[in-house]
Amino acid sequence: MATTDRDRPLVVILTPHWGLGTERGTVTRQVAGALACSADVHVVTPEGSAAASGPDSVFTVHRLGTSSGERAELRRDLVLTAVAASTSPDDRRGTADLDRLLDRGLVTSWAPATEVLGDLRPDLVVVADHRNVGGLAALDRHDPGLPTVVLSLAGDDDHLTFAHFDPVVERAAHVLVVTETERHAVVERFGRDTTTHRIGAPLAANASAFSEPNTWVGDTGYILVLTDRESTEAHPQNELAGLVRLRFSDRPVGITHTDGFFAWHEGRVNTGWPIERSSDLARLMAWAALTVDLRRPELYGRAAVESLLYGTPIVVAEDSRAREHAQRGRGGLWFGDTAEMTWCIESLLESSTNEVLRDQGRAYAEDEYGSTDRFIDRVTAACGLDVADIPDIVRVASLSTGKPSSPSGLDDQALPASA
Amino acid sequence: MGTPPIDPEELLRRIRTEHLALRWGPLPPDPVRPGGAGEQIRSQESLEYLHRNWMLPISFDDPGRAGVRAKLGGRVGRFVYTVLGPYFRAERDLLAHMVRVNDALEKRCDELTNRILEVRHQVADRQVAEARNQAELAVWLHQALPGRDGDDPDDEVPSA
Repeated sequence: MATTDRDRPLVVILTPHWGLGTERGTVTRQVAGALACSADVHVVTPEGSAAASGPDSVFTVHRLGTSSGERAELRRDLVLTAVAASTSPDDRRGTADLDRLLDRGLVTSWAPATEVLGDLRPDLVVVADHRNVGGLAALDRHDPGLPTVVLSLAGDDDHLTFAHFDPVVERAAHVLVVTETERHAVVERFGRDTTTHRIGAPLAANASAFSEPNTWVGDTGYILVLTDRESTEAHPQNELAGLVRLRFSDRPVGITHTDGFFAWHEGRVNTGWPIERSSDLARLMAWAALTVDLRRPELYGRAAVESLLYGTPIVVAEDSRAREHAQRGRGGLWFGDTAEMTWCIESLLESSTNEVLRDQGRAYAEDEYGSTDRFIDRVTAACGLDVADIPDIVRVASLSTGKPSSPSGLDDQALPASA
Repeated sequence: MGTPPIDPEELLRRIRTEHLALRWGPLPPDPVRPGGAGEQIRSQESLEYLHRNWMLPISFDDPGRAGVRAKLGGRVGRFVYTVLGPYFRAERDLLAHMVRVNDALEKRCDELTNRILEVRHQVADRQVAEARNQAELAVWLHQALPGRDGDDPDDEVPSA
């Protein structure tokens, strides 16, 4: 990396959003944290109520204050969903009208970024989100030849198949993806096998989760069912959760809803507060016999990986992004219909099967997601940054805060991104 | 000796194979609602004709033309209607009552037709709901069957 007048390279991350709370946001921040170990990282985002620049942990954040809010993205996603429903993936080349509709409110908001890039003169630009055509336009106005990496963040929403977004990936020298499923989708679309890099995500089991079980379900070898719906809502997730508690009524079943935690056993229910803190969810997963995740992960299924890190096998839907962790990680099973779900749970409740999948899943999760050092290495290597001189005290830093957590260099010290 | 590893794909294939012979579900009825939009007997032409023509004349209507023949005709006409008047009035009352009875029958027929259609819709809806309910019950019962490994052929549930 050429750094003519600086000690460290300067990296700019162009991201539509900056913050935790979603899998995409968390991964973006974790990648920024990894790059901060060997470069000065500046984050440019259209968010904010007014243009402002300032420090955020080890990063410098430039808020443009031009974002049109969630409406523009919602409109774009609705249009994409409508077009995807009426066309085949090979027939999504787009038209001028469609392009205008997709770009509306999402490109002009990036206009001031060109000036910011001109002031910063970065050595490398990371474009977060393969749909970030506004960020790409700002980058090209500044310097069409500047080295670029794209952090794909492609979910299972089929947006990769729209030609409108192709220039973002085609412009980048390297593509960073989180899972093998996402990598497969990018390679299938663009055929860039050698320049598409799976980076995973840095996660770690919180040892304190094993200190005491959740009081509503205790240490009873319960089935943990995760939903993201209210308990009274008429939704397939709730129907599946109800089927689990009826079918396995002889065993405690803990169901998380947005309006509470419901612990069922032999027809009786204990109701608790909603599980909102990640530490509470970690405690539930750590003491469960298995985790049934009925939700649709946005990007890679963080809860499923964390469950495996706690040694709890998973059961997920076969069209969920979390299936990869059950299949490739050999840490659980996946189902295509209601009956299969109950068979999978039944099978995983057998202690011999449970023990083997628990060990296999934990080994996979620790190997692929449990090491902050390896994550940093993968990110910096993919971005072409020199990692040889990174001191250990920096390399075990918490990626969410950018602050060193321990000089020990042990991966176990790494914190989850939401900590 | 460590525990041999488990391939989830192989395990899932085995689970699916084990349950394949035992999969059963009730055949759902055709969800299409019974035909018929409530045909009304009121639309029939014969009934309309009855309503227009039931009132027969009960007195002679003298056209008032001049001439001997016309005067003679008028006298004969008045005589006939005077002699047969009670019969004509009785017949007119009879026809009036018959038309009223027909009206009442037609109204009742329409009510019954609509009621039959309503009941048929209710029955179809109920059948669909019960079939759905039985499908869920089938899954639960299937899970609770003893010897589900397929060793005992007596345990098999007939396929739909």
